[in-house]
Amino acid sequence: MDKNFATRRRRDLFVAAALAVIAALAPLFVKDVYVQNILILTLMYAALSQSWNILSGYCGQISLGHALYFGLGAYTTALLFMKFGVLPWFGMLAGGLLSALIAMGLGYLCFRLRGHYFVIATIVIAEITLLLFHNWDWAGAALGIDIPVRGDSWLKFQFTRSKLPYFYFALVLACVAWFVTWWLEDSKWGFWWRAVKDNPEAAESLGVVVFNSKMGAAAVSAFLVAVGGSFYAQFVSYIDPESVMGFQFSLLMALPAVLGGIGTLWGPVLGAAILIPLTELTRSFIGGSGRGVDLIVYGTLIILISLALPRGLVSLFPSRKGAAR
Amino acid sequence: MTALLETRGVWQRFGGLVANSDVSISVGRGEIVGLIGPNGAGKSTLFNLIAGVLPPTQGTIWFDGVDVTRMPAAERCVRGVGRTFQVVKSFETMTVIDNVIVGALVRTTVMREARRKAHEVLEFTGLAGRADVLASDLVPAEKRRLEVARALATEPKLLLLDEVLTGLTPTEAQTGVDLVRKVRETGVTVLMVEHVMEIVMPLVDRAIVLDLGKVLVEGKPTDVVRDPKVISAYLGDRHAQGA
Repeated sequence: MDKNFATRRRRDLFVAAALAVIAALAPLFVKDVYVQNILILTLMYAALSQSWNILSGYCGQISLGHALYFGLGAYTTALLFMKFGVLPWFGMLAGGLLSALIAMGLGYLCFRLRGHYFVIATIVIAEITLLLFHNWDWAGAALGIDIPVRGDSWLKFQFTRSKLPYFYFALVLACVAWFVTWWLEDSKWGFWWRAVKDNPEAAESLGVVVFNSKMGAAAVSAFLVAVGGSFYAQFVSYIDPESVMGFQFSLLMALPAVLGGIGTLWGPVLGAAILIPLTELTRSFIGGSGRGVDLIVYGTLIILISLALPRGLVSLFPSRKGAAR
Repeated sequence: MTALLETRGVWQRFGGLVANSDVSISVGRGEIVGLIGPNGAGKSTLFNLIAGVLPPTQGTIWFDGVDVTRMPAAERCVRGVGRTFQVVKSFETMTVIDNVIVGALVRTTVMREARRKAHEVLEFTGLAGRADVLASDLVPAEKRRLEVARALATEPKLLLLDEVLTGLTPTEAQTGVDLVRKVRETGVTVLMVEHVMEIVMPLVDRAIVLDLGKVLVEGKPTDVVRDPKVISAYLGDRHAQGA
C-alpha cells in the first residue's frame, strides 16, 4: 500500500519531468511565431490554473476574482520598472508578496463567508479594484502603461526579437506551479486543505485550524498567480486595467482546472493544454466576424464536461488511489 | 488524582430554551462513562460544549487540569480530546487512509510517520482492508468506525463518542462494543452518548442520566436502570411505581 503510494508519487514526478523536457524541445520544431505564442499562453494558463487550483480546488474556496492578483502582479512590476527603474525580477517578487498579503487581508474578511457568498465576494472585490485602477492617474488610469523598451536582456526581462525566452520562462513557471502542488499535496497543508474542503467541522475536531488553512492556501495561490501576472506584463509590454484585471482572466484561470479536474494534480495542465489552444484557434479562425464564437465553444465544452465527467478529464485515467481527486 | 474531565455548573441557553442547567459532571481517567437520557434531555448539547463546538452560556469546563471553557475545538484536539459525530462527517472525496492521516497530522508533520500511524489505527479498528477505498463508498457501519479511527489517530486522552452504536445491526453493535473496550485497554478514557440502553449498560463503568437539561441520576449502570426517577423519565410515572 505504502509502496504503491510512493511509486505513484514518483511516477507523477517522472511524467512531469518527461513532459517538461518534451516541451523544452518543442521550439526546435515549432518556428512559427503564432504557434509559439499559443504555446506560451498555454503554459502560462497551466501555471495560473494550477495556482488557482490550490485555493479553489484543494482547499475548496472557489475564487472567481483571481484576476485581481494577476493584475496586481502585472501592475506592480510595470510601475516599479517605469517609475523607479526596479528590475522586473524584483518587481515580480514584490508583486507576488503584495498579492499574498492582500489575499490574506481579504481572506480575513471573506473566509467567514461560505459557498456562493464567498464566490460573489471574490468577484466583487476584483471588479472594485478594476474600477480603482481605471481611475488611478499615477498608474496610467484607463490608458494603461506602455512598458518602456530598453533592449533585449534577461536582466530587464525584455525580448523584442524572439519569443523564445518568454516561452522558457512560462515553462519554468508552469513547472514551478506544478511542483509546488505536487509537494504540497503530500504534506500537512495538502491534507488540511482537502479536509477543510470536505467538512470543516470534522476537520476542526481533528485539530485542523480551518481559518489558517484557508489563509495559507490563499497566500500561496495569490503569490503564484501574481508572478504569472508579472510575466504577462513583460510579455505583452503594454498593460491597461481591462487587459490584466478583467473578469475573463478569473474565468480563464478557473476553467482549465474545472475542465481537467478540480482539486487534482494533473487537471489544470490537461485542461489548459486543451482549452487554451482551442480558444486561440477558434478566435483566429471563426472568431473574427461575430466575436464570441470562442466563448460558445467554451460554454459547450463546460456543459459537456459537467454532464458527462463531473470530476474532469483526469477521471478518464486509471484511478489514482490515495490521492486527491 | 483529579478528574480528566469536569464540567462545573454548566448552563446552556438557546434563546428561551434551557438545554443544560447547572450540569456538573466529572469523568475520571480510564473510565468508560455513558451519558444517557431520553430525547431532548440535553445530551448532545453537553457533548458539544465538551467538544468545543460552542462555549457554554455559564459555567466552566476543565480538561486535564486546564480550563478549556473558551478553547476552540481544534486546540482541544491538540490537548487530547477526540470526538465522533452523531451524523457521520467523513471526508467523502478522500480515501479511508487519507481521512485517518488528517487526524494523525495533529501529532506529527512528517508524512511518513502520519501514514504509519494511520495504518496502525486502521489495523486496530479493523478497517485495514478498506484503506484505499473512498470514504463515500463505505457502508454506514464502516463510516462509524472510520469516525472512531480518525479520532484515535489524534491520540486522544478522552474519546467522545456520539451515538456510535445507534442504528447498527446487533452484530455490528457488538463489534462496536468490543472496539470501545479495546480502546479503553489502551488507556483512553471514553465518554459516550447513547440511548440504546441495553447495549450501553453492560459496557460502561458509570452512567450519567440527563433529563430536561439536568443531571437526574449518576452511578453504577445496574443501580441506574432500577432507579425510579430514571424509569419515570424514560417511561412515565406510571411505570416507575412498579419498580
